[in-house]
Amino acid sequence: MLTTRPFTYAAPTTIADAVALIDTGGPGTKFLAGGTTLYDLMKLGVETPAAVVDLGRIPELAIVDTTGDQLVIGAGARMCDVAEDPVLLHDYPALAESLSLAASQQLRTMATVGGNLLQRTRCAYFRAGAPFACNKRDPGSGCAAREGIDRVHAVLGVSDSCIATYAGDWAVALLAFDALVDVVGPGGERTLPVADLHREPGDTPQIEHTLAPNELIVRIRVPPTDTGRASTYLKIRDRESYAFALASAAVGLAVDGDVVRNARIALGGVATRPWRARAAEESLIDAPVTADTARRAGRIAFADARPGRHNGYKIELGARTVANALLIAAQRSVR
Amino acid sequence: MSQPLARVDAFDKVMGAVQFGADRVPPGLAHGALAVATIGRGRVVRIDTSAAEAVPGVRLVLTPRDGGELASAGFVMAGGHGFQSLQPLTDDHVAYRGQPIALVVADTPHAAAEAAALVQAEYEAEPLSVDLDADGVEVLDQAAVIPAGFFPDVDVGDADAAFARSPVRVDSVFDCPPQHACPMELMAAVAEWNGDTLTVHEATQNANAVRFGLATQLGIDVERVRVLSPYAGGGFGNRNSLQAHTCLAAVAARRLGRPVKLVVPRSQMFHDASFRPASRHRVRLGATVDGRLQAAIHEVDQQTSRHDLFPANYVEMTSRLYGIPNFRGHQRLVRTDVQTPGYMRAPHEHPAAFAFECAIDELAYATGRDPVDLRLANDTGTDPVSGRPFSSRHLAACLRRGAERFGWANRTLEPGSMRLADGTLVGWGVAAGAYPGSAVPTVARLRADDDGTVSVQVGGHEMGQGIRTAIVETVVRDLGVAADSVRVDVGDTAAVPQHLTAGSWGTASALPAVHDALQELRRSLDLPPTGAVDLRAALAAIGRADIEVQAETRAPGQPPEAIDRLRRGAMAIAGPEFPTFTAFSFVAHFVEVRVEPTIHRIHVSRVVSVVDCGRVASPVTAASQVGGGVIWGIGACLREGSEVDPRYGGFLNADLAEYLIPVNADVPRIEVDFVDEPDPHLNALGVKGLGEVAMVGVAPAIANAVFHATGQRQRRLPIRLENVL
Ligand SMILES: Cc1cc2nc3c(=O)[nH]c(=O)nc-3n(C[C@H](O)[C@H](O)[C@H](O)COP(=O)(O)OP(=O)(O)OC[C@H]3O[C@@H](n4cnc5c(N)ncnc54)[C@H](O)[C@@H]3O)c2cc1C
Ligand code: SF4
Repeated sequence: MLTTRPFTYAAPTTIADAVALIDTGGPGTKFLAGGTTLYDLMKLGVETPAAVVDLGRIPELAIVDTTGDQLVIGAGARMCDVAEDPVLLHDYPALAESLSLAASQQLRTMATVGGNLLQRTRCAYFRAGAPFACNKRDPGSGCAAREGIDRVHAVLGVSDSCIATYAGDWAVALLAFDALVDVVGPGGERTLPVADLHREPGDTPQIEHTLAPNELIVRIRVPPTDTGRASTYLKIRDRESYAFALASAAVGLAVDGDVVRNARIALGGVATRPWRARAAEESLIDAPVTADTARRAGRIAFADARPGRHNGYKIELGARTVANALLIAAQRSVR
Repeated sequence: MSQPLARVDAFDKVMGAVQFGADRVPPGLAHGALAVATIGRGRVVRIDTSAAEAVPGVRLVLTPRDGGELASAGFVMAGGHGFQSLQPLTDDHVAYRGQPIALVVADTPHAAAEAAALVQAEYEAEPLSVDLDADGVEVLDQAAVIPAGFFPDVDVGDADAAFARSPVRVDSVFDCPPQHACPMELMAAVAEWNGDTLTVHEATQNANAVRFGLATQLGIDVERVRVLSPYAGGGFGNRNSLQAHTCLAAVAARRLGRPVKLVVPRSQMFHDASFRPASRHRVRLGATVDGRLQAAIHEVDQQTSRHDLFPANYVEMTSRLYGIPNFRGHQRLVRTDVQTPGYMRAPHEHPAAFAFECAIDELAYATGRDPVDLRLANDTGTDPVSGRPFSSRHLAACLRRGAERFGWANRTLEPGSMRLADGTLVGWGVAAGAYPGSAVPTVARLRADDDGTVSVQVGGHEMGQGIRTAIVETVVRDLGVAADSVRVDVGDTAAVPQHLTAGSWGTASALPAVHDALQELRRSLDLPPTGAVDLRAALAAIGRADIEVQAETRAPGQPPEAIDRLRRGAMAIAGPEFPTFTAFSFVAHFVEVRVEPTIHRIHVSRVVSVVDCGRVASPVTAASQVGGGVIWGIGACLREGSEVDPRYGGFLNADLAEYLIPVNADVPRIEVDFVDEPDPHLNALGVKGLGEVAMVGVAPAIANAVFHATGQRQRRLPIRLENVL
């Protein structure tokens, strides 16, 4: 279905006004950043907000400061700009790569790093609307994917009601570095770890994150880490550009002499939310990164995987992706 | 002429000056949008349009209740003009998911789309079968259900006995998925009535079919219908015939008394137009121990719809690819609950070549022969099916020159034997392809003015393949005039009849007609048959300001009635068998793939393609055609497949984010070369078809390269990560 229902539109210039507008805009009012998720889903009839509050004219949201101890990245900064930030490129290659390997240059020019965090799944049954049952789109209707074409669906964090993959890359890389998200709502500001932003589907797959509808993401902060430099975001997909991950791994290492002191592994394309692989990380501590330890870490990362009908390959693919990413990161630790 | 001509419309295209169908905005235009069925098969029992009608700006909602106004245009492959015989909105029957059940027309496209989404239907659903293996499909022997003489099975010698006797045998099954052509320009029609005369602007490859089909559907005189398709944003077979949306726009425009534009969005295009059907091939090859082919048996099951029989035509090509003395080709049609499938670039030849040329590679390995040598050893100058000579056949030259340019001699035969330092596996693969040479009757009208302008009106359609450039180049080469003094008018039914442009006969049919018209012009101006011409002087010499001539050409052996058929809107395709020869274009593709050591991603890193398309009519657009064909082959082999959920029918990945076509990063350096030997028989200019043969054989060359790299045979397309992990 291709539709365009009428909606009202406001473009405030301050954060305070944006929060006020979302509160008075009535139920279903949505923030709008680059629109590459929101407008897309509105045209498909999956999102039907009565009003949108455009964040594009709020200068404060676009502030990026990567010169200090921690990285500060405004939610309204564009993906294409952040991907080319020299500090990210040099000191946090996993972050830069997660952005530059996402979508296309055209999309990255429109899309913001804040909107990116809240992008929605690419599950075709979710996007296509009728006639497909989808608990995420229409709670209680069932899940067409579970007995259907689940080739791109998740193997980690799945539930009986939903197996949709969290499709984004950026949040995966942020998760590896324990990033924080500053949000503001009618009650003021609060900070939450990006690890607490997304939810597993459980039996409420329609609730994807922990923000209230009237909470605005102001900025993302990445605290100092010794795993930034020797990091990578390895993304495996169906074509060599412009596709979502079938499996991806954000990996960061701190290596002392030969042995790993600190390891960060987060997975994309295989789980219902950005997925931290802590047991795999721990398996590497005090060990050298070799083809064997890397492969073992990869296997550990997928120990709890639950394959469906056509996505079982993601377990092996994901494990190898983790292993390869570890080897790339280890190489970067000796440069 | 020293410099090949650049595309004559390149500048206008880049500047956005070219008018495609939907670019037309006549005054008072209203906009349509379709509501489509959400069940895979059954009946609409109730349809509620009240919410749709309540949307501000909505002017009209058409549903099956209004069906009386419309007739079927008939299926194009059964004497009609439509891509399928089923015309939506004529009754309550639902044949497939995505079938239109209502048309909404409004003042704006947004209101129309919004209202279409609000059309509520209740259905009575029936069980459906959408893939080749589903319960409930109907399997038919093509030879028994399609009139004799059309798309016949092939039976040469005694293939079964010769296969049984052969010391080396290959027996493999190959699967090809449904695919969608996805031309960039969406399907769209702008219908305008002026009194009882209808004008339709629409991108099509077959303005005749649109014109004659609409006349049938609307019950009006064909003289009252004009169709204009000066440019199409890609066709690839998708626009081969009259599509179902056009008459709906025309009916709505007639009812409303205003022009109506109907643009069909991408997701609906996956269901409202034809697609390449799924096919399964069993190929058996029998050979001597040194690889001389003795027998081949090629059996195919191909999907069609419940309501039409889209003919399979796989064995026409495979039976001619080599000099195989015993060949049996057998084709079956499998009725499924889909819209009628149809032609898509190298429609049957791509899947056929995938199956057959992978099997040939298996034979090369079974006999221990180099795959190029094996192919050369089985070459032939005679069509083994008809016993007549090929009009021209330079497949061996394609293979030899390609091998040379590619550096094939450095290949080691053993799979997995070529590696880079980092462990990356390298595979080199080769495959041949052929595509039937066909031609259609064509009318060309030429006008010269004393301001030096030459205007050409000819039957043919510009789909980006470069027919305009080839026509201008022909005129420039012949008369020695400047390119910018030549005007070309194609795709206009008011000018000359517009036969379907497809099957790579477009240029090979239009250019001979233009050539004959040029000769006629020279005669009328008392000029010698060749040499540069001063048109002003020549016109002055006979005391005229302008002159107009016309030429009609037919394919070799075609009777004069072919022109009448053309004028009546019927198809008149000749080839590949002609009275004294058989015509095919040929190609050889050489491919290098790299397969990553651990994750096994396949990257096509190099392609060399050498084509025998007769004389090259326009070097720039010809090279671009071949590059495009190779990219299509990469897509068909490694990326593209239309996904079908058997519970729901229709196609699931119905947009360009999920239907994976190659992106630039998937495309390597493609070296293109031409044998460039004029074909002495097919037409006066010596040109054969090019657009489709370019794609034939790319997929098997890649699959064979993947085998060479990994030692694994891949017999199912597309080859994806999970298949090689
Ligand atoms: C064809 C295609 C391919 C893509 N490929 C990839 C890919 O490979 N990898 C990848 O990671 N992504 C990919 N994307 C997704 C794309 O990156 C996201 O759509 C984009 O980042 C969203 O950002 P936006 O600014 O456009 O958000 P919008 O669409 O404007 O908003 C998205 C959501 O976030 C909410 N929102 C936006 N800003 C804020 C804020 N400051 N506070 C609170 N809520 C907010 C909106 O209300 C909305 O719900 C692809 C998208 C498309 C269309
Ligand atoms: S996987 Fe989730 S999003 Fe997809 S159909 Fe099932 S419930 Fe809907």
